[in-house]
Amino acid sequence: MPSKLLHRFFAASARRIGGVTVLAVRAALRTRTVAALLVLLAACVLVLPGVVKGDGTPEGELHILLTYTLSFAFGILCLATLWAACALFAAEIDSARIQLSAVKPVRAVEFWVGKWLALLVMNAVALLVVYAGVYAQVHWRMCRDGWEVIERPVSRHVARPLLPTPREEAREIFADLQARDQLPSGYSERTILRVLEQKAHEKYSEIPPGGRQAWRFQLRRPLHIGEVIAARMRFETEYNTRTQVSGICRLSCVETGRAVEVPLDDFTLKEIEFVVDARAFGQIPTEGVRAFELSFMHTSDPKRAAGLLLRFRKDVALLTPGGSFWMNMLRAAAVHWSVLALLAAFGLALSVCFSLPVAAFVATMLLVLTMVGNSVVQVVSEEDAQKWRNRAGVLVSRVVHSATRRALQAKPLAALTNGERIDTDMLRTSLGWNALLFPLLLAAASCAVLRRRELADTE
Amino acid sequence: MPASKSPVIETRGLRKVFRDFWRRPTVEAVKGLDLTINDGEVFGLLGPNGSGKSTTIKMLLGLLRPTAGTIRVLGSAPDDTHAKACIGYLPEVSHLHTFLTPRETLMYYASLFGLSRAQAVQRTRELLAMVDLEHAADRAVGGFSKGMARRVGLAQALVNAPRLLILDEPTSGLDPIGSREVKDLVCALAKGGVTVLMTSHLLADVEDVCDRVAILDRGVLCAEGKIADLLRQPDAVRFEVEGLDEPDAAAVRAELEARTGRRVRQEYPAMSLERYFLQVVARDGQQRTFAMAPFLGATLSAPETDPTPTSNSLPMT
Repeated sequence: MPSKLLHRFFAASARRIGGVTVLAVRAALRTRTVAALLVLLAACVLVLPGVVKGDGTPEGELHILLTYTLSFAFGILCLATLWAACALFAAEIDSARIQLSAVKPVRAVEFWVGKWLALLVMNAVALLVVYAGVYAQVHWRMCRDGWEVIERPVSRHVARPLLPTPREEAREIFADLQARDQLPSGYSERTILRVLEQKAHEKYSEIPPGGRQAWRFQLRRPLHIGEVIAARMRFETEYNTRTQVSGICRLSCVETGRAVEVPLDDFTLKEIEFVVDARAFGQIPTEGVRAFELSFMHTSDPKRAAGLLLRFRKDVALLTPGGSFWMNMLRAAAVHWSVLALLAAFGLALSVCFSLPVAAFVATMLLVLTMVGNSVVQVVSEEDAQKWRNRAGVLVSRVVHSATRRALQAKPLAALTNGERIDTDMLRTSLGWNALLFPLLLAAASCAVLRRRELADTE
Repeated sequence: MPASKSPVIETRGLRKVFRDFWRRPTVEAVKGLDLTINDGEVFGLLGPNGSGKSTTIKMLLGLLRPTAGTIRVLGSAPDDTHAKACIGYLPEVSHLHTFLTPRETLMYYASLFGLSRAQAVQRTRELLAMVDLEHAADRAVGGFSKGMARRVGLAQALVNAPRLLILDEPTSGLDPIGSREVKDLVCALAKGGVTVLMTSHLLADVEDVCDRVAILDRGVLCAEGKIADLLRQPDAVRFEVEGLDEPDAAAVRAELEARTGRRVRQEYPAMSLERYFLQVVARDGQQRTFAMAPFLGATLSAPETDPTPTSNSLPMT
């Protein structure tokens, strides 16, 4: 009996939420704004790749399609979602249309969720159309220009070297400085650790001519017979030194004890990547192999060549097959969708509190502040942060950064362009924080305001 | 007369002070209102513009929060969803979504009451027939005249077959036929046990349908009671005789003056302009009233008496 009642309660609640969602979708589809938005998105997908000039290589074209087109379309959708969300409650309250709905037995949370779902549905459709358009363009160009297999977009698992985490490294350096009594004065332990951690994350290490560096890897997904593994290194070198660089890369499988050596002479690019067939590592067991070691020996002439700089945590990677490219695009779309879900929730929260112009203004300002704040945190030094005239700005930037760090940590377009699979962790984190936890908090706050707010005026 | 007398709406010491952006009081719209509306009553809330009628209604509906005092609607606080499920509301301005058709509008409001799709479709069909909008059911409301939009508004107020119907200026924007139909509907609903609270500037409308009225002025309750009690003139008696010719009328008048020693006024009662209008443009006014019956329930039947009483027929004492 109680379960029957519960079922009836949830069914009625679902109908109310569905009603609000359908109304919001109808409102969107029957206005010119959405038509204008669709035209903009179509122009983005169809016209932009033709207008922006690439370097003529398949890689360049892919970069334009995946980075410029998708970023531009995502940017348009971000603004559209934010402003549409700002209008959803505010306009209805301003026009008094909400009065007819508010006197019905609808809970504030049902209203909120209904409108939020409408935005999610619209965004999902828009993103799918945009991503499908881009995928179709990639496919069309691939067929038209006859891209080689190696030039085609891929999706690969990424394994980074087994190194201490930046936090562990920061603690280690801190302990070392403390032991030697060389800690900088005037800064708290927390500040020093934060700076050390940032530096550890971005730290460049040098491989001088004649030097050798090795890294251990543990693949998340084992490499099986018949598959290939790619090693990738990105160097930060001065342009005029690149032509003088040569070295030997050696990739060895710890489990089979077999290695492959690849000489790299006079490589002129910042990035080197080579692919090795799994059969080169000898008899691979059926369950596959996971442990690898990659080493690089800098064989350039010490008198003519400069040292090679690498960020070990970011610039060295082993890549193994990770599903199809279109599935990776779907994952990227899901990450983008989660960010839009957060923006929708944020806009709705503002919409409940303010009138449409105020909500839209505040939303835009906070969006700009987030972008600026995150940039400031990346570039500001601790010395600059200590200056009195910078303190307020740095403080605001740090607050914004820590509030939005989790929401914005996924970089789906970079992963797509680099052929890296958007792994489940990134997807889960993005969906969990952006499409669930943050919206939940914003919904709770919005509903508290909505319940307290008077929805009629003196008229 | 209603069988039960339990209060459906009860306010005690109800006050509403509007404030500006800086929280400074600007106007006290309602000043200590005590009001009781019983089950099955048709109650009229009257008053000039700015008297606090709409503010009171909005507080009863939970759209405004009272500054002081208590409100009980159907035994609950105004923002209680269980109580809201039994209330129908027609605001002074319909505030409909202009991009929706009447059918979509009614389906939307039916969904807010948690009605299943089948129920919602059925109820929508009945209501569209009731307000005579089947021919325009799939046209956007934005293109409707004020009267048609008012009919949609009325239909949405009835989508849940409410126990309490709150109508703010229900006949505003309607032609005399539409206005008559609304009044007939209110009477029919009241017979079916629905409690109705209505406000109107048109005093004749209120007089036609309401059991009791309250008159508000500048937020203060000035008078309250049954219309018959409020309007009674205890020192006057009126007779109406049909088919009396002039000499007989003069004789009766002379006899009465001789007996009472008072001056007797002789009148030839005229029908109301509304009734005359309805006769001239008769069309199907009565038929529409009957068309409401299936929706309102089997207990309802056509009005037994002429539903258009003349305004000059005062009760005899």
